[in-house]
Amino acid sequence: MKIETFKYDNRVVRAFAIATVIWAIVGFSAGLLAAVQLFWPEANLNLQYTTFGRLRPLHTNAVIFAFVGNGMFMGIYYSLQRLCKARMFSDALSWLNFWGWNAIIVAAAVTLPLGLTTSKEYAELEWPIDIAIAVVWVAFTVNLIGTIIRRREKHIYVAIWFYISTAITVAVLHIGNSMEMPAGLFKSYSIYAGVQDALVQWWYGHNAVAFFLTTPYLGLMYYFLPKAANRPVFSYRLSIIHFWALIFIYIWAGPHHLLYTALPDWAQSLGMVFSVMLVAPSWGGMLNGLLTLRGAWDKVRQEPMLKFMVVAVTAYGMSTLEGPLLSIKSVNSLSHYTDWTIAHVHTGALGWNGFLTFSMLYWLFPKLWNTKLYSVKLANWHFWLGLMGIMFYAIPMYWAGITQGLMWKEFTPDGFLRYPNFLETVLQLVPMYRLRAIGGSLFIVGACIGAYNLYRTAKSGTFEPDTEAQAAPLSENPHPAGTGHRWLEAKPMFLTALAAVAVLIGGAVELIPLKLIKDNVPTITSVKPYTALEVLGRDLYIREGCVGCHSQMVRPFRSETERYGEYSKAGEFVFDHPFLWGSKRTGPDLHRVGGKYPDAWHFNHMENPRSTSPGSIMPPYPWLLSQKLDTNSLPARIAALRRTGVPYPDGFENGPAQKELEAQARKIVANLQLGMISNAPPDTEIIGMIAYLQRLGTDIKAAPAQAETSPAADHAVATANR
Amino acid sequence: MNDPKDNKDPLLLDHEADGIKELDNNLPAWWVWLFYLCVIFGIGYLGYYHVLAKGDLQKAEYDKEMAAGNAIKGAALAKFEGAMNTAEPSKKSEDIDHGRQLFATYCSPCHRTDGGGLVGPNLCDDYWIHGPKFADNVKVIWNGVPDKGMLAWKEQGFKPSDILDVASYIYTLRGSNPPNPKIREDLAPKNTEVYE
Repeated sequence: MKIETFKYDNRVVRAFAIATVIWAIVGFSAGLLAAVQLFWPEANLNLQYTTFGRLRPLHTNAVIFAFVGNGMFMGIYYSLQRLCKARMFSDALSWLNFWGWNAIIVAAAVTLPLGLTTSKEYAELEWPIDIAIAVVWVAFTVNLIGTIIRRREKHIYVAIWFYISTAITVAVLHIGNSMEMPAGLFKSYSIYAGVQDALVQWWYGHNAVAFFLTTPYLGLMYYFLPKAANRPVFSYRLSIIHFWALIFIYIWAGPHHLLYTALPDWAQSLGMVFSVMLVAPSWGGMLNGLLTLRGAWDKVRQEPMLKFMVVAVTAYGMSTLEGPLLSIKSVNSLSHYTDWTIAHVHTGALGWNGFLTFSMLYWLFPKLWNTKLYSVKLANWHFWLGLMGIMFYAIPMYWAGITQGLMWKEFTPDGFLRYPNFLETVLQLVPMYRLRAIGGSLFIVGACIGAYNLYRTAKSGTFEPDTEAQAAPLSENPHPAGTGHRWLEAKPMFLTALAAVAVLIGGAVELIPLKLIKDNVPTITSVKPYTALEVLGRDLYIREGCVGCHSQMVRPFRSETERYGEYSKAGEFVFDHPFLWGSKRTGPDLHRVGGKYPDAWHFNHMENPRSTSPGSIMPPYPWLLSQKLDTNSLPARIAALRRTGVPYPDGFENGPAQKELEAQARKIVANLQLGMISNAPPDTEIIGMIAYLQRLGTDIKAAPAQAETSPAADHAVATANR
Repeated sequence: MNDPKDNKDPLLLDHEADGIKELDNNLPAWWVWLFYLCVIFGIGYLGYYHVLAKGDLQKAEYDKEMAAGNAIKGAALAKFEGAMNTAEPSKKSEDIDHGRQLFATYCSPCHRTDGGGLVGPNLCDDYWIHGPKFADNVKVIWNGVPDKGMLAWKEQGFKPSDILDVASYIYTLRGSNPPNPKIREDLAPKNTEVYE
């Protein structure tokens, strides 16, 4: 039998490993700074670039795409070569993947603080960077598939199934959700509006959790856990069932982010029931991980790497039970918009992704540098500090979330809101925010100790750039192809196609009807496009990341309509490119804020929130009062919005828009004068922001009672017109 | 391949990947049942709410919640409005303190922290646009003056007791003579354009 000799590429694995450690510290620290700002607003350093609204997406992107992204590539590039008994398909693609991905992260770290954002969660980066992401991801996918094709092992192992489903699904999600109309080099508008944009966003956003934070890491668990424990995987058939069930069901669950919103009921219900059905497939992964350790628990005590792994897999099990629980509509009605969600995602991010990544790092560094871990003791310190950090993070956030959720909903026996002032419910949480920051600090100290330990480990060994291995080529592989799933594992292209079908079904069933069937978004005739000034104001709202703390979606609960006003209707958002419903209320909902306060109130409030709302934790926005409104970009913005379908008249951007803008600005300045603010120049950003805020949610009030036409009648008209 | 020495565990499969072996344990029965139950729940839920359309969807749920809540609130409001004309300011310090807090949060943006007037009129002098009695104040706060930008605070989720507390606090401001008060409404220039 012919035996080939070849080399595994360790250099690119090393590069990803070092990037993982660096971005871990950066991403966690950005999170800590954001957390501190919630009880000490001055921690924004008095800079617009580091204020919460801009810092939060920097933190989430850094943790998800920089830390976990590099960690994922590190683990995949290491394990894939060994599982396929082949070097990576192309070294050039490997390095394009590494440098491209990290250049994208640097671009994110520059653009997000500058306020260049689409505002869509975990998809904030602007269109040129989106294109770069697509290119780099395709490079990774080609490299992955190419390596699989050139493998010397007939059957592909379960870890690789997960890698394949990750590669194809993330590509589909990223491209589908990033469809945007450029308005200049650093600005774009989602081609979807309102309800549709919301559904596409959470189809993406939820499955970014599923296929960026979960499936690749399950694949990595299937490689590194049995490797390190030196135990056979508990159940091959469980891995088959849970893999297919997981990828098929996961994609349907996105609408659970939009329960009790203006999303049609049928889509909400699908999101909920598929989330509930997800419990068992998720737990299949946890069981296969934990039960693999049967008979190896003595090793877990001695080997820090396995300790991290056990906590990671347990955290995975906890958060994948909690996720479906939070997707049950009645639970969600309490938990949504509160810190409960924050606790939930951090169990996943710190526990599952964080600890699994550290586990891989502790295992890989000694392997790559041909040495032993520098200090088991320090690794144990890291472990305990990290675990304490998770506890100090999660428990106060659960407490805060449930407390605030209950306070929002509480009525007096006379039928009035017990806490009509939103701020009162926030001030209750400040002690919890302090504790959370302690938790985050512990986690970071642990990570720094880990980085030091890994550095010393590398120092003490000699890096092996290539590992030599030998195997027979596939053509001489004596293994029978097998039958059933075993047969499929020898046909990776067919498996890839089947996985693609599995993940496309759920998205198609939910997204296509919402686009095609008009009943889903009943028309409200009084809803009109934003004025030119309001468009610019809305873009400032997006730039400042207001959506990070303020929702624009009043849910149909008495506790919300008593507090905010009429609940939000699907037809009110048809010109919202992108939608700005938000997912967290650190401040109150703003959908009905239009007309609620005088213009002067907003001016004073933006200049110093505590002047109008004593004790508020909102940061001040003094730069809005001094920076000039960028009216030069107006024509490009109006034209881009028109191309997405907003019915601005032809030529509106060449003259009429500017005139209208100036007239509206003058009126706001006059209103400010009434409020004893006489120094407001009409060309500053604050004027645009006030215009937008005062417009919010007001169109529906101009509507005659029957303006909301019945869906059936509308549909009949649409059909007749065809 | 099936060397019995390697295969001590009868469940151990004969394949391996980079040294990783796999057992072929059966799926845990409780896990299988958990999966079935969740799927049955899902089908049942969709069937109940969307196929048979038996359950309340969110609009119906909301309408019921509103009807029940408004009945309770309506009774309390009717009682308050019936007694509004004869309302008297509270002298209790906790009520006035509560009123002061509410004033600082909700009223001071327009009437200034000391009540001297800003967008809204001065509340410390003896000129009252809508009547000088305590009960008149209560009515203005409750019903608002929409034309002039005074909100109807009954629509802002406030309890009758909040309104009485804040009006009682405002009552204590009478004659307090803060510096630089806003000019009296009837003496102010009238030609300023107002943008709605």
